[in-house]
Amino acid sequence: MIRSVPIVGKILAILLGIFITLYMLVPLLVVAGASISESRFLTFPPKGFTLEWYVDALTSDTYLEPFRLSLMVGVVVAILAATIGTAAALALTRFPIPGAGAIQAFLMSPLTLPTIILAIGALSLTSMTIGAPNVGVLIVVHVVIAIPYVMRTVTGVMARADHFTEEASRTLGANAWNRYRLVVLPIARPGIAAGAFFAFNISFDDAVIALFLRSPQLETLPIAIYGQLEFSTSPTVAAVSTLMVLITVALMIVLERIIGLGRLFV
Amino acid sequence: MSIRTRKEPWLLLLPALALLTIGFVTPVAGMLLMSVQASAGGFTLENFTRLFTSEYHLQAAWRSLRLGVIQTLVTLLLAVPLSYIMARAGAKVRSFLLIVIILPLMTSVVVRTFGWVVLMGPMGLLMQIPGAEWIAQSAQGFLGTEVGVVIAMVQVLLPFAVLSILGVISGIRPQLEEASRTLGAGFWRTLWHVVLPLSIPGIVAGASLVFVLSVSSFITPRFIGGPQIPVFAQTIYVDATTNLNWPFAAAQAVLLFAGVMLVLAATARIGKAPVRA
Repeated sequence: MIRSVPIVGKILAILLGIFITLYMLVPLLVVAGASISESRFLTFPPKGFTLEWYVDALTSDTYLEPFRLSLMVGVVVAILAATIGTAAALALTRFPIPGAGAIQAFLMSPLTLPTIILAIGALSLTSMTIGAPNVGVLIVVHVVIAIPYVMRTVTGVMARADHFTEEASRTLGANAWNRYRLVVLPIARPGIAAGAFFAFNISFDDAVIALFLRSPQLETLPIAIYGQLEFSTSPTVAAVSTLMVLITVALMIVLERIIGLGRLFV
Repeated sequence: MSIRTRKEPWLLLLPALALLTIGFVTPVAGMLLMSVQASAGGFTLENFTRLFTSEYHLQAAWRSLRLGVIQTLVTLLLAVPLSYIMARAGAKVRSFLLIVIILPLMTSVVVRTFGWVVLMGPMGLLMQIPGAEWIAQSAQGFLGTEVGVVIAMVQVLLPFAVLSILGVISGIRPQLEEASRTLGAGFWRTLWHVVLPLSIPGIVAGASLVFVLSVSSFITPRFIGGPQIPVFAQTIYVDATTNLNWPFAAAQAVLLFAGVMLVLAATARIGKAPVRA
């Protein structure tokens, strides 16, 4: 703590904190509010209370199929990105590799490339080679943009861990399989879990890549919402969106339990 | 070291390298190639000549650039003091603000944009604020205005800036501020002459990230700004998916790509400039 912050500074800090809280959260609250309003039109503050739109959302094919697809893609992306990203992160943190810096930069580069560029590249390449985009293409591109997040979380954990346990297991004659199963992976576990959650979240929320690759058979939940926004905004969309926010909140709580958000981001 | 150990790191790296080659390098390279490929075979700059003579597309590109600069500046104006408050506040305040920042970040942009659409309509909550009509420059609300796009986009971009800057400010030792205070500088003077210069690497990193995300964004501008004020990413989307003119869309994407690379290269140099305290 810094001593004797002038009173003007304190007041400004409190005002900024309140403003930012409202600014960041009100758009989400508005969606949640509109989803329980009895009015057929989107209003905030809500008028009355009803769960009708949730029933609508959970029984309508408009959202149910996209939800299943998003969930499936998200889980597959989380597993693949966690596996591939963890392997790469372990290679880069535990072995002296020539050109490690360049390899690291290359694997992290999807982070800085605008997704729209990757999306149009993937669309055109797919069209020229296999025709219509399929779910496999969507998964591959999602894994590509999720890998940097896994690498970052796993690298963070491995950088804090000591190397002696592993050396010890090697000296004591553990083979590679046992070394990974009993020593390396348990150490990296919090980073892997956090990375997998990020990967799921990135895939589940992505609208840009999914929009370029969409087809009637390939519509994820954000794209279903996107489609509704283009035509009409019914309270049912608000209910679906609120459910998406709730899934995110649930994931964040799990993440907080496993590793602690503060340690991840600061 | 045995042969097996030397192979081990490469076996671990192989899947990631293979995947990025297939899912990242090839599509981006294909896009670069497509932008200069003539339909009859051979190479052409036709798509680029068309791009640089199209008033509509140049205007969209210019708008993206202008909005990108404005959004980056506004985002920094909020993110820098907020990051400082988060770094120096108690653990409880910090955790609270961290959740406030991260929850929207982890929510789909489509959902957040949806919230802004409800807020920004002529009957929306935002128009109830005194003076809103004057800011929105119309009684129809903020929808279809650049002011509306900036308000919504800054909310989308703020978490990226805060997370970049917070890490750096958290690393500045409070003792440095104490020293400055002991030597007679006031609170504000210390912020300006000690904290701000030391935060530059984080601010530069955050600014470049926010700018890149800003110029390439199109879901929020699409729904808040609408078709009346197209941004560059939106014209790319329309040419790629509606007009099915991929080579032309690719040419635009290449221009965006080049612009982004230029910004990143420039900021990497500024960010690396040593700051001494």
